[in-house]
Amino acid sequence: MLNKSIIFCGKLISYVSKILNLGNGSTWPGHIALKINQNFINQMLGKSKTKVILVTGTNGKTTTAKLLQAILETNGKKVVLNSSGANLLNGIASAIILNSNLNGDSNADFAIFEIDENTLPQIIKTVEPNFIIALNLFRDQLDRYGEIDLIARRWKEAYIKLRKTQFILNADDPQIAYLGNDLKNVDYFGIDSKGNDISEHASDSILCPKCGKKLTFTRHYFSHLGDWSCKNCGLTKPNHEFIKSLFYPLSGTYSIYDVQAASLVAKLNGLTITDINKGLKSFRPAFGRQEMFKAGDKNIQFFLSKNPTSFNESLRAIAEKNANNLLIVLNDRIPDGTDVSWIWDIDFETLVRKGMNLYLAGDRVYDLALRMKYAGIVIVDENIFENLNEAIEKGLYDTGVKQTFYVLPTYSAMLEARKIITGKKIL
Amino acid sequence: MKNDLTLTIGWLYPELMNIYGDRGNIAALDKRCQWRNIKTELLRLDVGFSRPDLKRCDILLMGGAQDRQQEAVANDLFEKKEDLRTMVEKGIPGVYVCGAYQMLGNYYKEANGDKIEGLGILDLYTDNPGQDKKRLIGNCVAYSEKLNYTFIGFENHGGRTHLGKNVEPFGRVVKGYGNNGEDKTEGAIYKNSIGTYLHGPLLPKNPLLTDYLIKTTLEIKYHTKVPLKTLDDELENQARKAIAKRLSVAI
Repeated sequence: MLNKSIIFCGKLISYVSKILNLGNGSTWPGHIALKINQNFINQMLGKSKTKVILVTGTNGKTTTAKLLQAILETNGKKVVLNSSGANLLNGIASAIILNSNLNGDSNADFAIFEIDENTLPQIIKTVEPNFIIALNLFRDQLDRYGEIDLIARRWKEAYIKLRKTQFILNADDPQIAYLGNDLKNVDYFGIDSKGNDISEHASDSILCPKCGKKLTFTRHYFSHLGDWSCKNCGLTKPNHEFIKSLFYPLSGTYSIYDVQAASLVAKLNGLTITDINKGLKSFRPAFGRQEMFKAGDKNIQFFLSKNPTSFNESLRAIAEKNANNLLIVLNDRIPDGTDVSWIWDIDFETLVRKGMNLYLAGDRVYDLALRMKYAGIVIVDENIFENLNEAIEKGLYDTGVKQTFYVLPTYSAMLEARKIITGKKIL
Repeated sequence: MKNDLTLTIGWLYPELMNIYGDRGNIAALDKRCQWRNIKTELLRLDVGFSRPDLKRCDILLMGGAQDRQQEAVANDLFEKKEDLRTMVEKGIPGVYVCGAYQMLGNYYKEANGDKIEGLGILDLYTDNPGQDKKRLIGNCVAYSEKLNYTFIGFENHGGRTHLGKNVEPFGRVVKGYGNNGEDKTEGAIYKNSIGTYLHGPLLPKNPLLTDYLIKTTLEIKYHTKVPLKTLDDELENQARKAIAKRLSVAI
């Protein structure tokens, strides 16, 4: 009864706050619900038919969640999707309220929540999910998230307590794969390609997660993802499922992982390859993640890049497209990470094609310029901008007709650049 | 200037101790030598490196790592600590950042009281007050009287380092926390070895320090003063000015 009243009030609050234009009313109802009943989320999910899927990892959370949403929705399922934020539990509670009828019955088939690495252990104390997709662990915002070994340790402690959850783990990432050793219900995904023979500089998990000795890699896909084994203790990469004949709506090796992970969950929920591909074909990129804009007779494409690994992979994907004009924007605000030293771990030396027009901008544009100087990449003064607006203007002007102007921003820079571009009259 | 000047740069544990863009320090040393026609040779000294390789180095750099990586490195480096000590005592220049800085000290005391023995090369120790106390994170500015120069970098450390009698502070904290957030010291300097919490990385952003290290290294190697050609540091200065302005400090 209590929860029914909460849902009624929550819906009312959301309705009123929308009418009065007090934000979009998305977390208020949840905030109040949890104040009244701490166990609201668990009780509601426990009695509903809604399957809860959590997506976590350093890179690819948003894209994987959206891919899965596209696949499920195309196949007639009702999906609730909530992206991560500061008030994640409030957001989840709100999503439940808005997707329940006044009897307290949820009408969603699936609830997909994107959860950042650090919040996950706390969330699964409250929510016992049906699925957890763990994508990868790369160094990212050490100033805020801390070191990845610590995160992996916390995950392990938290995962063991979940009895019913099906884990979808990346076999190519040693630390993620090793999580599966102590778990009962595990499916592994991974890729199946040629890979590189050389390791990258920004590799994090080259030590065995079990015994701490150096791992042997016969193949690197990127960073520390690859075909790995430990000569010392015998730990090997677990067998993984690779779903063939899938449609890939995004470029880059990293998106193969996202597509494989999302498709594996869809498959475990009874969908066929044909069903899955129908969904993948309907997929539209998330905010800033390979998102494409038209600018008159030219295109602009965003490749959100948040850490050395995603930066390297974005640069590789852009190089494959023979890009001529590329803007890199580096901010150091809280969502970007306030420490910019990680730009020295990006392989600009090998990934930037000679002769490409590079434009630099952002709060730390001179740090970026310095990085380029020491990578031996010459950037003319006119292409170093303190003002992002001018940088976009110039880059777009230099881009040929029917060509694409590529923008590689950190998170807050992506929001800023997107605002500038969507605000332009020419679009 | 002689044409055949060569510097051998020893990078200690590039595979495991590289967490804060430490590669940038190598790039700065390397390029600033090359731009002056000083040849460089880079020796990557990973776990299992040989003593003769270490002894061949004219200058050493070592960065920070995560705990597990640091453990693997400590096991390896303890076997060769006397070689490293001899080099430091001989005045072979070196820059030891964050985890490396702590490791060169006498010990590291964890929150539960456990003491991890250090290499005992630099007279200092580090206390970790535990998870409840905040990590010291943020942009950091320190001034060195010896070089009359203001260093700019970024720090991120849980441990609080305290200096012993046999080392001098590398700089005085102008902005940020430094060694322990209390006594206004940042880093340590002993003979020509510098220990510091500043990454960012340190050397590209502080070209005067990089040049000082190159000069010192050449003098020690060739037993003569070597004048260094002035380089165009316009971008370096702009990057320094931008952050100094934001932090409202004079540089």
